[in-house]
Amino acid sequence: MEKDLVQYIAENLVNEPDKVRVRSRRARDSVIVQLNVARADMGRVIGKQGRVANAIRSLLKVAGQKNDTRVILDID
Amino acid sequence: MEEPLEFTGETVDAAIAAGLEQLGVKPGDVLVEVLEEPSRGVFGIGARPARVRLKLMRPPVSEPEREPSPESVAPSASAEAPTSAEDAPRVVADVSPEDADNAGAIARSVLLELLDKMNIRGQVTVEDATDDDQPVTLNIEGADAHMLIGRRGDTLNSLQYITRLIVSKRLGRRANIIIDADGYKSSRVDRLEQLAQRMADQAIETGRVVALEPMPANERRIIHMTLRGRDDVETRSSGEGDGRKVTIVPL
Repeated sequence: MEKDLVQYIAENLVNEPDKVRVRSRRARDSVIVQLNVARADMGRVIGKQGRVANAIRSLLKVAGQKNDTRVILDID
Repeated sequence: MEEPLEFTGETVDAAIAAGLEQLGVKPGDVLVEVLEEPSRGVFGIGARPARVRLKLMRPPVSEPEREPSPESVAPSASAEAPTSAEDAPRVVADVSPEDADNAGAIARSVLLELLDKMNIRGQVTVEDATDDDQPVTLNIEGADAHMLIGRRGDTLNSLQYITRLIVSKRLGRRANIIIDADGYKSSRVDRLEQLAQRMADQAIETGRVVALEPMPANERRIIHMTLRGRDDVETRSSGEGDGRKVTIVPL
């Protein structure tokens, strides 16, 4: 599931995996995945110029393809 | 309880976790014997579960319990697949220190985990590096592998980037990993080399500059390298960002 994918990636990139929180909610034909990490870990899940976040988004896109869902990733 | 007990699960770790929960003991209290790996790399239907045997030890010993033979690099990778956080992380940490530095095995288990969570079915084969400077190549094959390529290999590169980051963090050093799907990248190299030669011939025949379509940096590099050996043409890159492309100039 989209949520598990984000959870797994985030937990393995941050220094404080205990502080990783992932929530997901449906909105019509899309799923919004919301990721929260410790302040000091923000850069690790976003990356320079959003490179990490964009890579996660591209994987989410594939994950959603099978059941025709658009997946939106929110990081804050 | 002297009797060894058998448990099954989707992954070896899941099977161990299930066993530990049923027995109500900690990872350090049992001796784990992996009876059967889950059917390798195949997700979903048709996959065989992992089977482990747990044996309770009287005093908890701090020795690493499981002993995957150092030879069995690829199969033991899935044994190390750290699943979700609930799955007794100590078991993962305890597993085979001798395999801890094997970039190929770690990369494979991380990649399998990612694919599983992406709902992608496929098998992963590892081509280990011959020396430390060489990258480890992981190739994904299976019915869904084509879904991982994306436009000009974009998705493949994202998957490679995330896997690299996770493995590097785990190893504590930069891991050089290449991820391919259905041999897309390796066949792309062949195709690009042929394209380069053909376009160079065309440039010579027509006496005109030939511009190739825009390509990512690694592909432009292949064109430059291929034609470096020819003294009748010269190659240049022009354009910015996504539009950057190689032009072949006849001499």
